[in-house]
Amino acid sequence: MTPALAALATGPAAPWVFLALLVPIFGLGVVLMRGFAPGALIVAILRRYLWINLAYVGLIAVAIGIGLALIAQERGLRVGAAAAADKFDMVVTAPGSDVTAMLAAVYLQPADINLVDGAILDQLERDPRVRIAAPLGFGDSHRGAPIVGTTWEFVAHLAGPDFEVAPWSDPFSVIAGADAPAEIGDQFEPAHGVGTTAEEGVHGDILTVTARLPRTGSPWDRALLTPIEGVWLVHGLADGHAPERAGQLGPPFDPAFTPGTPAIIVTADSLGSAYGLQSQWDSRSDTMAFFPGAVLSRLYGVLGDIRQVMSILALVTQVLVAASVLLGLFILTRLFRRQLAMLGALGAPGRFVTAVVWGYAMALLTAGAVLGCALALVAVGAISDVIAARTQLIVPATLGWAEAHAVATFLLVASLVALVPARLLGGADVLSGLRS
Amino acid sequence: MAAHALQIEGLTVTARKGGRILLEVPSLEVAPGTSLGVRGPSGAGKSTLLYALAGLAPKMSGHVRWGAEDLCQMSASQRTAFRAQNIGMIFQDFLLFEELSAGANAALTAAFAPRQTRAALRDRAAAHLTDLGIAEPARHVDGFSGGERQRVAVARAIAAGAPILLADEPTASLQRAAADMLSADLVRHAGQHGQTLIVVSHDDGLLDRMDRVIDLRDGRVA
Repeated sequence: MTPALAALATGPAAPWVFLALLVPIFGLGVVLMRGFAPGALIVAILRRYLWINLAYVGLIAVAIGIGLALIAQERGLRVGAAAAADKFDMVVTAPGSDVTAMLAAVYLQPADINLVDGAILDQLERDPRVRIAAPLGFGDSHRGAPIVGTTWEFVAHLAGPDFEVAPWSDPFSVIAGADAPAEIGDQFEPAHGVGTTAEEGVHGDILTVTARLPRTGSPWDRALLTPIEGVWLVHGLADGHAPERAGQLGPPFDPAFTPGTPAIIVTADSLGSAYGLQSQWDSRSDTMAFFPGAVLSRLYGVLGDIRQVMSILALVTQVLVAASVLLGLFILTRLFRRQLAMLGALGAPGRFVTAVVWGYAMALLTAGAVLGCALALVAVGAISDVIAARTQLIVPATLGWAEAHAVATFLLVASLVALVPARLLGGADVLSGLRS
Repeated sequence: MAAHALQIEGLTVTARKGGRILLEVPSLEVAPGTSLGVRGPSGAGKSTLLYALAGLAPKMSGHVRWGAEDLCQMSASQRTAFRAQNIGMIFQDFLLFEELSAGANAALTAAFAPRQTRAALRDRAAAHLTDLGIAEPARHVDGFSGGERQRVAVARAIAAGAPILLADEPTASLQRAAADMLSADLVRHAGQHGQTLIVVSHDDGLLDRMDRVIDLRDGRVA
């Protein structure tokens, strides 16, 4: 979607675009029905084939509901994914795929990525432009939830300003994500690995849950966060500090005693600093630095085309369903052909008969569209819950102006398509109709 | 409502396709406010004559004058407008909307009548229903007998106050007693309101009540 179209779809002009799409339908209705009172006849036709009409409304509603839900869900997923990455200003990893590294560091997806040398963490910590340089350590799990080693500064950054929990007291303390499968006070031995290949009972160390993290709306809600020192110790590595500083948790780390780390989350003191840091660390041969927001943006660029195709497919599907329904209506209204011809015999203009048939079609289409919106609202909520349960992303999917525009476009196109059977019946020969 | 005289001169109705002549009436006159019965065997052209008098026949030549207005000189939309103002029609199988009440069916033409006339038209329809013995105008017609339905159709035809009433086999779907009652009501109403009534029928009971009856055979007045 071009920026201009996007602005029309979601900007301040969105309500006007919605109205602009509906006005031609009202205009058409006024032109067809001006001077007439076809309501009673439209109701009569609706009542004649009540169940078939309800089935038509249901078909239209399902077509619209699915289309709207898909579009809204896709947008919600993008917003949710972007919100989840919000706290991850910049990521430094070993060279490789930035998408894979982002999925691992931000969305905690299991991935094999190379380690960044401990000296790099030290250099980042010493850089005056860096506010937080938090190493991440992955690889273990408990009851399917990933155990992530990091620093308390990053936990506090992730939790937000209202977080008032005492920092970890030992390397085997755990702060549980909002949805992590552990309660405060629980003690467990971490399994080595994640998922079906996780091995139980190979580490020996016991971790203790001491606090719970507020909900972040990200996959980190399912994680168990522990000091990075604990992760290193559990794996038999140095804990990042010289022996004389044994027991220290968090920075500064001593590069001579710091194992490699798969990713370092960096928060800079300013936007300019962030760009400078990214440029500096991305230009080296042994590191890669990226902004997750930029990677997501690039992904959305690719997905944006798919979204447009999805939107068009949804509209085409809806119009095809509407056309099928209108064809059915045309066949149905032909069962009224003698009564409609009788109207002509009594002096009703062809425009009146056209208005009756068009009004009947629009009653079904509008009812289907309204019901479709209601279905979409329910579906969007249900799908968001499923996605949230699987990814921990908070998907703020709801119907917005883009969906309102889609429904209005559908109604506009369908109102024009409905003119075809309406005009055919309105212009039909009265005598042939009476004798049919 | 001023009654209209009918004057036909050299009327020829031909089929839409093939040009076959369906009806030829060299001359026919009906005085305003009188009734005319048209009888004849099936296929004789009775209904074609009736539809020609309503301006509904597909290809007409000659003259069909109702008062000063010649249907053969009018466009399709002019004929439609003429029917709306001047002609009420009754059909053999009623052609009611089953889902509507008797009152709504009788006042059906209000749906496309000028806004300022609608209330009066509905009042007239209700009055005609009462006069024709339909005591419950709010009842849906799907529970009505054939005779009651046709009386609703008669009320619909006369509610607009048209000076011309055309009826195509109005008693053919009714049992004898109902047919007799309907015939009496139809003729009485037309007479009371000074309407020119033309009825196509096989029903001698109805035709006997007409001021004049003509026979049609093979598309010609016998």
